[in-house]
Amino acid sequence: MTIFGQKAPATALVGLLIILLNVLVAVAGPMVAPYGETQVVGGGWDPSSATTWFGTDQIGRDMLTRLIYGARMTIGIAFVTTILSFFIGITLGLVAAVLGKWVDVVISRLVDVVLSIPLLIWALMILNVLGQSLTSLVLTIAFLDSTRVFRLSRALGINLVALDFVEVARMRGEGLWWIIGREVLPNAAAPLMSEFGLRFCFNFLFIAALSFLGLGVPLPYADWGGMVKDNVGGISFGLPAALYPAAAIAILTVGINLVVDWFLSIDARPSGAQAEM
Amino acid sequence: MAGAAALGLAFGSLGGSAKAAETPKKGGTLRLGMEGGSASDSLDPRTYADSIPISYGYQIFNGLVELDADGNAKGELLESWETKPGATEWIFNVRKGITFHSGKTLDADDIIYSLNLHRGETKSAAKDLLSAISDIKKLSANQIQITLSSGNADLPYNLTDYHMLVVPNGFTDFSKPDGTGAYALESFEPGVRVLTKNTGHYWKPNSAWFDSIELKYIPDTSSRTQALISGQIDAANRLDPKTVSFVQKSPKVSVLQTKGTGNRFAFVALCDTDPFKSNDLRMALKYGIDRQKIVDTVYKGYASIGNDTTIGPANKYYAPNNPPHTYDPDKAASLWKKAGSPAIELQVSEGAFSGATDAGILYQEAMKKAGINLNVKRVSGDGYWDNVWLKAPFCAVYWGGRPTVDLQLSQTFISTANWNDTHWREPAFDKIITAARVELDEAKRKQMYAEAQNMIADTGGMVCFAVGDYLDGYSKKVQGTAPHPRYDMCDQKVAEKAWFS
Amino acid sequence: MIRLILMRIGLGLLTLFVVSAVIFLLTQILPGDVASSVLGQNATPENLAAFRHELGLDQPALSRYLTWLWGVLHGDFGVALTNKRDIIQELAPRFRNTLFLAGYAALLALPISVGFGILAAVREGRLTDRVANILALICISMPEFFVGYLLILNFSVNHEYFPSLATVSSDTPFGERVWAVTLPAITMTLLVTAHMLRMTRNSVLAIMSTPYVEMAFLKGLTRGRVVTRHALPNAASPIISVIALNLAYLVVGVVVVENVFTYPGVGQYMIDAVTKRDVPVIEACGIVFASVFITLNTLADVLAIVLNPRLRHPR
Repeated sequence: MTIFGQKAPATALVGLLIILLNVLVAVAGPMVAPYGETQVVGGGWDPSSATTWFGTDQIGRDMLTRLIYGARMTIGIAFVTTILSFFIGITLGLVAAVLGKWVDVVISRLVDVVLSIPLLIWALMILNVLGQSLTSLVLTIAFLDSTRVFRLSRALGINLVALDFVEVARMRGEGLWWIIGREVLPNAAAPLMSEFGLRFCFNFLFIAALSFLGLGVPLPYADWGGMVKDNVGGISFGLPAALYPAAAIAILTVGINLVVDWFLSIDARPSGAQAEM
Repeated sequence: MAGAAALGLAFGSLGGSAKAAETPKKGGTLRLGMEGGSASDSLDPRTYADSIPISYGYQIFNGLVELDADGNAKGELLESWETKPGATEWIFNVRKGITFHSGKTLDADDIIYSLNLHRGETKSAAKDLLSAISDIKKLSANQIQITLSSGNADLPYNLTDYHMLVVPNGFTDFSKPDGTGAYALESFEPGVRVLTKNTGHYWKPNSAWFDSIELKYIPDTSSRTQALISGQIDAANRLDPKTVSFVQKSPKVSVLQTKGTGNRFAFVALCDTDPFKSNDLRMALKYGIDRQKIVDTVYKGYASIGNDTTIGPANKYYAPNNPPHTYDPDKAASLWKKAGSPAIELQVSEGAFSGATDAGILYQEAMKKAGINLNVKRVSGDGYWDNVWLKAPFCAVYWGGRPTVDLQLSQTFISTANWNDTHWREPAFDKIITAARVELDEAKRKQMYAEAQNMIADTGGMVCFAVGDYLDGYSKKVQGTAPHPRYDMCDQKVAEKAWFS
Repeated sequence: MIRLILMRIGLGLLTLFVVSAVIFLLTQILPGDVASSVLGQNATPENLAAFRHELGLDQPALSRYLTWLWGVLHGDFGVALTNKRDIIQELAPRFRNTLFLAGYAALLALPISVGFGILAAVREGRLTDRVANILALICISMPEFFVGYLLILNFSVNHEYFPSLATVSSDTPFGERVWAVTLPAITMTLLVTAHMLRMTRNSVLAIMSTPYVEMAFLKGLTRGRVVTRHALPNAASPIISVIALNLAYLVVGVVVVENVFTYPGVGQYMIDAVTKRDVPVIEACGIVFASVFITLNTLADVLAIVLNPRLRHPR
C-alpha cells in the first residue's frame, strides 16, 4: 500500500490505524460514549458486564465511557504541550547552537538550572504558585518539557554547525534564521521527530505522575494517566480497572512511534539503505 | 472522680484477631509499617501531628492520663485526681516509683515542666487544651494542684492529649529523648524507620512484651498492604477500605475494624460568606448529598453516615436529626431555588483526607440530579490546611475524634474557636456548651448536647457525610490487639499492648 | 581542553549558585511557611507566631538567604527547621542510597539500550529491530508507579522472589541491599531503556544517510562494520547527550519509584521538605541534585568533543 506516494510497511499501517482510531474517538467521543462523562452507573470496581463492557472505575463510572472521553483530554493536552515545548525547545536549542559563545552559555546554564531539580518538584512549586487549571497545567508541562527538547536540539545543532554546508552559508552572509530554517533544521529533523514521538507519550505519563501528587487534570474530566493512578490500588489484588487506561496509553504510544519510524526510514532510504541494496 | 465517660462505643472485629488470646509471652521484634509521618518528623512532642510520631511517642514516653478501653480517663503518670464542686480546683497525684530511662525518678517537677511545654508562648498544638489553666502549683514531691479560670469537669480528658508526654524537669535535647515508656530509642531516621528497644523494667504490669520495635515509614497504601500480606511487616495502619476485603482473604493476615471512631469526613461552608449566608442553601447542601452512596462506594461500607456535626453515631451523646438529612433531590432543588439558585464551588483535595475527591465527584453527581450545578475543583494537597481550609468558602475537611463531647464540639463550633471552619456563630449554642461543661446530671447533660447538635445540624455550615472506621491489619501471630475508642493501632499503643503467639 | 574543563567547572559552580537563588525565590513565593505546614490543621495564630519566632522566620528573607549562603560557603548546610536534625547527616545516607539505585539501574540499562539500539540499527526493519522497538515502547508507555505495582504483584506477591519493600539502612549488608533494590532498579531500567535505545538506533540511522557512509557501503563493507566503525562514532554526540540526560534522570527523577518501593532516597526527602517548606533542606537537596546533573552534563559535553573530530579542532 502506498501513502503520500510512499510505500508503507505493515507496521506503519498498523500505527496509522491506531492513530486514526484514537483521533476519531477523541473527536466523536460524546457521540459514541454509552454514558455521560461523569455519570455513576454502578458500584466501585464492578466487573465487566453487558452494560459496562470494561467494568466501572473506583467510584462506579463506566470505564469505557471514561476511556473515550479520556482520549480527547489526554491526546489534546499531550498534543498542545508537545507542540509548545518543541517550539520553545528547538528555537532556543538551535539559536544556542548556531550563535554559540555567550548566548549558548547563558541559555544552556539556565536550562541546567531547570533540569537539575526533579521535574515533580518544579511542577509542585510552579502549580502551587500559578494555581491549578488546565492552562497552567499545559504551560507548566510545556515549559519543563522544553528544556529536554532544548538539550537534544542543541546537541544536534552543534554537530551540524560544524559541517561544511553551514559554514558555507555563514560565509555567504546568511542570517541566523535562514541558517536555522534552511540548513540546520532539515538536517536535524529525523532525530527530532523520533524525539517528538516519545515526548508526546512522556507527556501523558507526566500528567499521570502529577496526579500522583494530586496536581493532574481538573475534575471531573477523564484523562488516561489520572485514570491509571485512580484505579491502580486494585491492581495488586487482581482488579483490572487500571489496566485499560494503561493499555490505551501503551497502544497509542506504540502506534505513534511506528509511524515515526516509518518517516525516519523514508528519510534514510535515499542514501544509506539504497547503497546497501 | 468527677467527669463522665464521654464515649460509648460499638466495636466490630473482622478476621477474628480480637478473640480471647492465649497467655502473653515475651520476645520478638514487632515490625510496624505505617502511614502518617514524614522525613521532617521530630521527637519533640510539641510538634507531633500524625500517627507515626504518636506511635513512637507512646513507645518512648508516657502520657499524663490515658483512655481505657471504654473511653474513660484512667491514670497514667498522674495516678489519681480529685476536684471540688465547680471543677476549677484540681489535685493530681503523681505516680510513685517511676524512673526515666536515664535513671531519674519521676516527681511533680517533671510533670509541671512537661505541662508547661504547652503553655504560654509555645509552638505546641496542645496549647488550646490547656489555655483554661491559670496556675499549676507543686504541693509535694508527688502532688500538684491545677487551677482553672473557668470550671471544666472534663479536665483529665484534656490531659489525655498525645502531645502531653512527660520528660524530666528542664529537659531540652529531644534528639536524645528520655522518657518513662516501655521502649528506649535506639535509632531515629525520620521518614525511614524508628528503632526502639525494650528497657526491661516497664512500670505497667502485663505489658511491653516485645524485645524491640521497628517502625517503618510506608506512606503508599498499596505497598503497605502488600508488605503486610507478604510478611515483611507484622502490622499496618490505614488499610484502604476499597481493597480490605481482599486483605481478609489472606490466610496470614487479620483485619481489625474499629467502627465509627475514625475521622469525620465533611465539606464545610463559611456561613458568613456569600452565597452560604443563606441557611436555605446550606440545607440544600445537606439534602443534596447522597451519603449512603458515598459510604457504599468510597468507603465500601467501612464508615457510618454522618450527621452534619462532628459527633459520630458511636458516641453516647449522639443525637440524630429529626427529620434525618437523607438524600432528597427535590427538597434540595426547592431550597436551592429559594436561596436564589446561586453558583456553588467546592474545593477538594486528597490532602484534606483520602477519598475527598471521589466523594466530591459523587456529591456533584447527586446534586446534578437535583438540577444543581456543583462545581468541584481539585486543589493541591500541598499546603492545603494553610491555603484552602478556613479560607475557601466551601471545602473538604476531616475532624479527628476527641476524648470528650465537649472538646469535640467546642473546638469546632463555638464562636471564638480557632478552628471554627464554618464561621457559624450562635450565642445560644456557646451558652449551652459552657453550661454543659459543669453540668453533672447525666440526663440533663445529654439533653443539652442533643440540643446543641440539632442547632448545628439545622443551621450550621458543615455537611458531615461520613464517619470512617479505622482499619488495621495484623499478622495472625500478633495477639492482644483490640479496638480502642480513640485511635487505631490500639490507641497507637500496640507496642506495649500486643505480643507474638 | 584543560581550559575548557576548568571553564565548565566554573560555570557549574555559578549554576549551583543560581539554582540556590531560584529555589529560595520559589519557596518565598510559595504560599505558607514551615510553621504553618508543620502545625497544619492544629495551627492557631498564637502557636504560629511562637514557632516563627523560634525559627527566626520573622527575619527578612534576604538576610535569611545570605546567612544560609554564608554557612554553605563554610561547608555548613545547617539543620532542618522542622526537626533540628543536621542536614548533611540526614542527606548523606539517602544520597548514597539514591546513587546505589541509580548505579544499579544504569548497569542494567546502559548495555541493554545501547547494545540493542545498535543491533536494531544494523538490522533495521527486520524482526530484531521491530521487537526491540515495540517492547521498549510498551515499557516506556506505562506510568512508573504502574510498572512498579505490576512488578510487585508478580515478583513479590504471586511469587516471593524479591521483597516489595526496598527500605534499606546503613547497616544493610551489600548482598541484601542488592536483593532489596532489584525491583526498583528494574522499574527504572524499563523507564529509561526505551529512550536511550531509540535514540541510539535513530541517530545511527540518520548518519547512515550521509554520503561518507554511502561511500563505505560502496567500498563493499558489511552493514555491521559500517554501523560500528563509521556511523557510530559520528552519531555519538546525540547518544551521549541522551545517555547523560537519562543517567541524570535515574538520580534526579525517581521520586515516584522511591514512594512505591518505600526506598529512602533523596527524592522523597525533598518532597517532604517542600511539603513542609523546610527551606534549608530543599536547598541542600537541590544542590545535591544539581551537582550530579552538572557533573554528568559536563562529562557528556567533554566526551562529545573528544569523540567528534570536527569539534576537537575548532575553527
